[in-house]
Amino acid sequence: MRRLSTAIVGVGSVAVLVVGWLAGSNRFTDDVPVAPSTRLPTTTPTSPPSDSGPSAVPSPTEAVPLATAYDGQLIETKYGTVQVRVVFTDGVITDVVALKLTDTSETSVEISARAAPILREEVLAAQSAAVSNVSGATYTSQGYLGSVQSALDAAGFTG
Amino acid sequence: MGVHTFETMGTVVSIRLATDAGASAGALADVHRVFDDLDQRFSLYAPESELSLIVAGVLPLSHAGPEMRGAYTDALGWRERTNGAFTPHRPDGVLDLSGLIKGVAVEQAGLVLERHGHRVFSINAGGDILTGGVPAEGTWITGITDAADRTRLLTSVGLTPDWPAAATSGSAERGNHIWRRPDTDRSFLQATVIAGDIVTADVLATAIIAGGRPTLDHVTDRFRIAALVQLADGALLANPAFRALIARDPDGTPSSIPTASAAGSSTQS
Repeated sequence: MRRLSTAIVGVGSVAVLVVGWLAGSNRFTDDVPVAPSTRLPTTTPTSPPSDSGPSAVPSPTEAVPLATAYDGQLIETKYGTVQVRVVFTDGVITDVVALKLTDTSETSVEISARAAPILREEVLAAQSAAVSNVSGATYTSQGYLGSVQSALDAAGFTG
Repeated sequence: MGVHTFETMGTVVSIRLATDAGASAGALADVHRVFDDLDQRFSLYAPESELSLIVAGVLPLSHAGPEMRGAYTDALGWRERTNGAFTPHRPDGVLDLSGLIKGVAVEQAGLVLERHGHRVFSINAGGDILTGGVPAEGTWITGITDAADRTRLLTSVGLTPDWPAAATSGSAERGNHIWRRPDTDRSFLQATVIAGDIVTADVLATAIIAGGRPTLDHVTDRFRIAALVQLADGALLANPAFRALIARDPDGTPSSIPTASAAGSSTQS
């Protein structure tokens, strides 16, 4: 399928074409009109491109096969951003190229940065006298008097 | 270590200075003025404050001073970056920038202290802490209160120049300014965020309480922060950066657990 190494992008007609790629649960959410070269209209995943209607298929105007590429939208999935390019030659899909696939390494970094349960024993550091400040939900002026911070401040108070 | 306290913004600010140089009286007066000036401009308790005039409809926001418009713009930026969890608008529509201003005041106070030559300091404004430099102890050892018992500490962490700021937000505090979405999970009792600056720490701690688990996931994905959350049933959640902070040595020596890299690449633009 990858016999085309180059693709001509930007032919003015719009091919209604379909790719059975990521059809499942992913939504094509971008409804902003875009240029034909970047727009990948979607219908059902199984229709052959010849069903797209006569206006949709670029007609060859010269002897060499005319290849036309359509870049799909960037699709946000739960696991990252995905984009495909579909290449027609003479109205037939000749290639489907993944332009951008889920960056699994980036995803794993994100997941590993997330908060997970931690045992109290793991955080119970020595509640040493060396504590100089206490971070807690904001206390009022009145609340300060009964706060740990107040005691710490009193211990080293200079005015 | 000299400790100084004063009352402002409805709470008490505690300042520690490693060296009590003769000039520190002037520095402390300037710091106090930073808080009072911001309080006078942004307080909703003072009917004549600039923000109160805006809320009363007397002064259009578009005609407000550059500080006010700048703070509002910053608050909207934080709303964007927290998927709406942090917001400058109360549910009744009133503009309320108090969730941002205390952090801004602490940040400016730190700059004032540095201008006065105080490189080693801590500022604690009602539980929101910014530290500067490295104290004799090696780190600024900072306790995190137990939301279920304010006289106890959950843990302590050492704040250092790479993690200089800590802020905690709670869901049950009187007079807090956290407005939760109606659908927010209410099991988040308290959130502590340690960050590279106090505004980020303060805003994100507020956002986590306001937005619950989805916001916690969102901000730990996108910001270089260490986060600890206490749940209503007493359980704790911590991200790897927080685990690394409590694992490192008291003098701040990094442990084998990566800290900055574990928090992911920062996209807090």
